[in-house]
Amino acid sequence: MIDIVISMGLVGVVISMLGMGLLIAYYGSSKTRNVGFLFLVVGAALAYYLVEMDTSDVAFMNGMLAFVGGMIGGIIGIIVFLVAIIKS
Amino acid sequence: MDMSTDISNTAVMDYFVSMLLIGIGVALIATGLFTSYFGAGKSQKIGFALLFLGIGTIAYFIVFYPLEEKTFNEALVSGVATLGGMIIGMFTILFVLMKVDTVDDLEDLDLEDLEDLDLDEELKKLEEELNQADDKETENGGENSEDEK
Repeated sequence: MIDIVISMGLVGVVISMLGMGLLIAYYGSSKTRNVGFLFLVVGAALAYYLVEMDTSDVAFMNGMLAFVGGMIGGIIGIIVFLVAIIKS
Repeated sequence: MDMSTDISNTAVMDYFVSMLLIGIGVALIATGLFTSYFGAGKSQKIGFALLFLGIGTIAYFIVFYPLEEKTFNEALVSGVATLGGMIIGMFTILFVLMKVDTVDDLEDLDLEDLEDLDLDEELKKLEEELNQADDKETENGGENSEDEK
């Protein structure tokens, strides 16, 4: 179970590093742009580690399915709440 | 890490749908608690309805959903760990951005125009213009007073 926590936690860090790194590298000023590229490099390095070097027997696609399912479920719940409040 | 992309129907039902239901349930319970506590009148009733709907969703999942405990634990831990990792990544990015000096250097600015300016000369010109304007006003004032006499 601890393997899942570590591996999927690293996947989360990779997602945020690559996503925010892209945004900062594209929209940032001259100094923040360099930091954005740094985040992209760190994210790519972590992704390389997870794909090539991580030896844990964690199913990546199953974990991502669970994560995406939880996210979409939360969004649907909040949409239901907003519809109920706005319609009242 | 096992990066195989062969996703069977059972995996979709076990991991995706189970976490979808848990996500809907948790979001409804959280928003229902919030609205029923802080709301008043009709909003409070809607809050209670959302709360019971969320509890019903979770109860349905626990009672009727055919899922092994080990599979559910794996799905839950995977989703929560990924979310936690994203939060840690965001905090790291914010920390680094706050520590880095994000203001552009003055070297980047085009200061050539400012260097060419001689402020003393500009001040002298302004003073001369002001003095000339004052002289004209006093001359005009003197002529008007003579005309009146």
